[in-house]
This record gives sequence, C-alpha cells and structure tokens, in this order.
Amino acid sequence: MAVAHATPRGYLERPRPSGLADVIDVILDKGLVIDAYVRVSLIGIEILTIDARIVVASVDTYLRFAEAVGRLDIAQDDQAAGLPDLMESMTSGGAESKTKGVLEGAKEKLFGDDDDEDSDDGDAKQKSSSRRRSSSSRSGSSSGRSGSGSSRSSGSRSRSSKGS
Amino acid sequence: MTPTGSLVYVYGVLSASDVAAATETGVDGRAVRTIAHEGLAALVSDVHGDALAAPREVRAHWRVLQEVSEDAAVLPVRFGTVMDGEDAVRRQLLEHNAERLGGLLHELAGRVQLSVKGDYDEDALLRDVVTRSPSIAALRQRVRTTPGAAGYYDRIQLGEMVASDVARRREEDEAAALARLQPLAVRARAEQPASSGQAFNLAFLVDREGVENFGRAVAELGDQVAERIRIRHVGPLPPYSFADLELAAGSAAWA
Repeated sequence: MAVAHATPRGYLERPRPSGLADVIDVILDKGLVIDAYVRVSLIGIEILTIDARIVVASVDTYLRFAEAVGRLDIAQDDQAAGLPDLMESMTSGGAESKTKGVLEGAKEKLFGDDDDEDSDDGDAKQKSSSRRRSSSSRSGSSSGRSGSGSSRSSGSRSRSSKGS
Repeated sequence: MTPTGSLVYVYGVLSASDVAAATETGVDGRAVRTIAHEGLAALVSDVHGDALAAPREVRAHWRVLQEVSEDAAVLPVRFGTVMDGEDAVRRQLLEHNAERLGGLLHELAGRVQLSVKGDYDEDALLRDVVTRSPSIAALRQRVRTTPGAAGYYDRIQLGEMVASDVARRREEDEAAALARLQPLAVRARAEQPASSGQAFNLAFLVDREGVENFGRAVAELGDQVAERIRIRHVGPLPPYSFADLELAAGSAAWA
C-alpha cells in the first residue's frame, strides 16, 4: 500500500495514513471539475457520486433519533421501562450496540463496513480489496443502494408498530 | 466523433517537472502515464469499454493520487472524470486552463491536506441531550409510555428536537475546533459532516514542515474533548478540498 510507508506511525501527534473510508467523501465530492462538455461519463461512475450525498433532516432521521434516545438507560425512567427493556440496557454494551449505527454515515451504504478505520494494516486491506473486487459490479452497487434504502424504511415501519 | 477506444481517465494535474513514474495500477487495471503540455502534466490511464466497476475504481483513483502526492504537488481531478483521448487532455484541459492550473499548483506546492474529523460518542451525546433538556426528557418519557401508533407524531417531534439540539452542539464543536487549528494552517475548510453522528469534518491545508506541529495541536484538542468526541486525524492527503477549480474547456470539442 502506497500510503503505509509514507507517514511515520505510532505517534499520537502524527496524522495516520488514510484508509479509503477516511477519504471517500473528498474523493467523490472534491477536486478539479472539468466542464461537462468535455467530460465523458461512464456508466457506473456517476451513479456512485450521487449516492454519497446524504439527507440528514428527514422524518426518517427524526424517528431514528427518537428511537435512539428512547433506548438510553437513564436512571429516572427505570420504573417506566418494561422489565425486558431494563434488563437489556443493563447488560453493558447492549444499549450501545443497539444504538450504534443510528447515526452512521454513507460509507456503509457504499461499501459495507469493511473499510472501517481499523483495517489499516496490510492484511485487512488485502482482504477488503479482494472482497471489493468480488462484489464490485455495476448491478452490485445499485442493488446495494436500493437494499439499504428499503431496509431503512422497513426499519422505521417496524419501529412505529412496535409496542402497539 | 467519440471513438471509444481512445478514452482516458484523468486523475490529476501536476507540474511537468514533478512527473514521477506511478507504480500503482489505475482504474480498470490499466497502467498510469502522463500527458504533458508545456509546464503541466496530467496523470491518466486508458479506459476501454463503456462501464467501470465504480467502487473498485474509487480505490484505484485514491491510490494513484496518494502515491504521487507523496513527493509532488498534485491537483486531484474529481473522481470519475473521463476525457475523449490524449489530445483532449492536452488541449482542452492543460492548454486551455494553463494559467489557472499553474497558479493553483504554485499555491499548493509544498503543502498537504490534513483532515480532522470528530465523531460523537453517540450514547454519551444523546444521554447528555436528554438530561440537559427538561422538555426533551418529558417528551421522551411520554413516548416511552405511549403505544406505537398513537405516539407516532410525538416520536417525530422528539426526534426533531433531539436533531436540532445535536445540530446546535455540532456548530459549537466545529467552531471550537476551527478556532484551535485554523491558525496553524494555510487554509481551512469546514466540510459537510458525512453523517449525523459527526461533530465536524474539517480540511486543512498545511505546509509539509508544519504537519507535526499541527498534529500536536490536534492531539491536544482530542484530549480536551475525549469524553464526548473521538477525533480522527488523517493525512497527509493530496489537496482534494483545495483543488476547487471548475474548468471550462472552451469550444475545442469540435475535434
């Protein structure tokens, strides 16, 4: 990996070499833009750049926030929470793993979670790039997109019917 | 008029005097080469066929630019830019925009981009939002005890209140981080946070010699906010966020 040897490692005060997940937003959204008349679009590429943009303010987002705060384990409302609820949030990490992901961004939508910042060592890179290769077809990327969209909306549906 | 056999993918522009052989393979698995015109050179590779597997190509684009930027100033071109052959690159990109490209290269020479992103600890953030706002806490309590369908609008309202509180905190945290780090950078830019759980997403243009000093300030900032925000300091990167020209190619497209 070209980056790996460029930056001295191991010091907190040094920036660490980038993983793709760290720079995906600038790669898709920044850099010189060349006039559309001279640019030639290739199928598969333009689509991805649109996906990178996220709508933050939406009913869906609000519902996810509401769900996330509803799951917090806060002392004053112990009596209001049902027993199973309470037990769940007392197991340490339970509440965290449940709320984790509510605020996650686009990178998982784009690439799955295999580009997480923990995968900066060569091994993980290798693995994730070979996984990428096997899943990176045009149809793969577009079905991934619609997949995440539909799972999100079905998620909020199931939340709104919960408890009724 | 568009012979598909001769398309080239464009990665970036650098000074002709900085051209070094790229060893990374480019998009579509093709070798990276340069097309030069007077003082400027474009990093390109050939493209065959009409479709690229986008996620894989993002990785190739990133690697090529990262490698070249290790010892040269390179202006990244936006991902996915394909031009109609060598001649188009030479004339419409390099020649037509020579002055602007040269000027920007000069300005960015010897400087790198560092990114500083802050991610909230979601649990701590939301807990704090609830415990500090009586109205949010009360509404939350009501939502928790109201059956699903009946509480739908309450839930939306609760979420909206939480979201706006988070937005306010984000503004404050971003301003504080900028105030601390901006003086150590040549330029700074606050990017749109990439997710709603991100406190800030900042890009800095820093002299290569200043990278270490800048990093110390980031570490200090990180210590100060450690309970709430996890900071990721990444770089050095090619100056993606500061290569912000929109280039017109004139009317040379008749060729």
